[in-house]
Amino acid sequence: MSERVLTQPGRRRSSAMPAIVRENAPVVLGLAFIVLFLAASFFAPLPYGPTTPDPLATSQPPSALHWFGTDANGFDVFSRTIAAAQRDIPLALAGTLASLVLGIVFGLLVSTKSRWSERAIRGLDVFQAFPLVIIGTAIVTLTGNRLESVVLAIVLLNVPRFMRLIRSEALALRESRFIEAARALGASPLRILWRHILPNVMGITLAQSSIAAAHSIIVIAALSFLGVGVSPPDPSWGLMIQEGARQMIVGDWWIVVFPGFAVLVTVAAFNLVADGLQAAADASQ
Amino acid sequence: MKAIRIIGKRLLLIPISVFALVTLCFALVQIIPGDPAITVAGSYASPQEIARVRTELGLDRPWHERYLAYVGGLLQGDLGRSLFTGRPITSELARRVPATLQLITLALLVSWILGLSLGVAGAYFRGSWPDRVTRGMITVLQSVPDFLLSLLLIFVLYFMWQLAPAPVGQLGLSSFTPGPTGFLLIDTLLRGDMATFLQALHHLMLPVLSLGIVYSAYLGRVGRSSMTKAMQSRQVEFARACGLPEWRVVQYAFLEARAPILTYTAILFGALVGGASITETIFAWQGVGQWGLESILKVDIPVIQGVILVSGMVSILVYLFLDVLVMLLDPRVRYE
Repeated sequence: MSERVLTQPGRRRSSAMPAIVRENAPVVLGLAFIVLFLAASFFAPLPYGPTTPDPLATSQPPSALHWFGTDANGFDVFSRTIAAAQRDIPLALAGTLASLVLGIVFGLLVSTKSRWSERAIRGLDVFQAFPLVIIGTAIVTLTGNRLESVVLAIVLLNVPRFMRLIRSEALALRESRFIEAARALGASPLRILWRHILPNVMGITLAQSSIAAAHSIIVIAALSFLGVGVSPPDPSWGLMIQEGARQMIVGDWWIVVFPGFAVLVTVAAFNLVADGLQAAADASQ
Repeated sequence: MKAIRIIGKRLLLIPISVFALVTLCFALVQIIPGDPAITVAGSYASPQEIARVRTELGLDRPWHERYLAYVGGLLQGDLGRSLFTGRPITSELARRVPATLQLITLALLVSWILGLSLGVAGAYFRGSWPDRVTRGMITVLQSVPDFLLSLLLIFVLYFMWQLAPAPVGQLGLSSFTPGPTGFLLIDTLLRGDMATFLQALHHLMLPVLSLGIVYSAYLGRVGRSSMTKAMQSRQVEFARACGLPEWRVVQYAFLEARAPILTYTAILFGALVGGASITETIFAWQGVGQWGLESILKVDIPVIQGVILVSGMVSILVYLFLDVLVMLLDPRVRYE
């Protein structure tokens, strides 16, 4: 015991940063990828304009001139794949952030064993029994096909998940001694929620929010695949995949594969962060 | 006896859920901002056109009257007509629901086999290399959007290797008229039409594979976590102490782990009725989900209501079936 106390601070001081990186490699890797991709989409010089087609070079396979080929309209697939991150990633992050905030507020509110919180959860069951892709599409289409509507759709899809997670974690925490102690000391219910429960569910909630971001990327891609919430010719991965879908049966794979790969890697990066955060949350419990 | 009482109680919940579902479908028209009639008819519609849509949607009457008319129609099995084709929604659904159910049932079968093998293997070899491999596979599968996988499979299996038919629907060109059940696989077998049966199976290959593979990630994750828990349980310890062969031990662990797996399967089934919509669109499947999407993009409100109603009903029935099944399988739930 005394040995550990003596050695730990020394080790920490000698290599603080690498230790953090080593212990949370998935989180650091995933975040680094997302930040780099985002930075590239805003600042990297692109070989072609992502919204200016070249009518003389349509449906070209990948080559030295067009690394990822061109689509049926003559857009450079490489430039568009990178530029699309400018829209798709921030949109997913905005949706996730909004879901996180609302999810925490509503999740804490229903995290009691009272009768009405049970009812609220039953209500969520009914809501989640609906076909969510269809609901999401309906929301965005009926409220006027704007970016805010996409965020709204993401929020509606994700908030119930946060609420459930926070509630189940909080109900388990409520049984523990320190909550009992806080209550015995006369802490108000609100204080218990804010100072004792919230900090303890934060780790797992952050892991969930990275899963939510991954899910949002897929939802955004699905919506824009359907032509919902996009404004062509602005690039978006889902829209690009949709434009290439018809070319797939004649063998022009590159129009779909590269934006599809961008979706896949971005989602995988968010999932990687989630895995790391989850492991960290598990370890701290 | 107690089981019957619990099932009875559970059945009493059904009317409440259906009521909520119907009300939500009805409320859908109300959430449209502005004048729904203009949204539906489009901004270039003539005033007569808008007036026609308004009467068709009943927007010229107060909402409680409309609600009663809507519920009354539903009770008589009348879901209304499409604003665009004028065809009754019920007959269209009778054609499309079997197409979707057939597709998602087979897709879930594939997910079960694939996902549970991955999950069980991961849980059994927890911490060693098969666990890492299966976990990696699940993470990758989780990151693939279903429409992307559909397109990739079309490219590889149809364009490159010509193993699968073109994405042209359930049969492609065929003179076969479905009936009596509407499920192509069952109908063809009932009538002894083996050639069409095989053709239908062949056309099912790609959509079933793409949905099955994508959703196996979810079952793999649930399978892994519930099997991991089961493998650390007392029973498993006891079974091992008794010297039972390992496959028996895994079998017992699986029996313990099946409740969350079944729950998840039911949730996926309910979600897939509408959730298969993009895959259905890619394969021109003419299912419920595809119809739902098409009607949303056209703001064909009665059809949207019909699709949501049907998929909600399927969810309600599947959840009921699940609750009864879990109770029959797990005596602890019965005696709670």
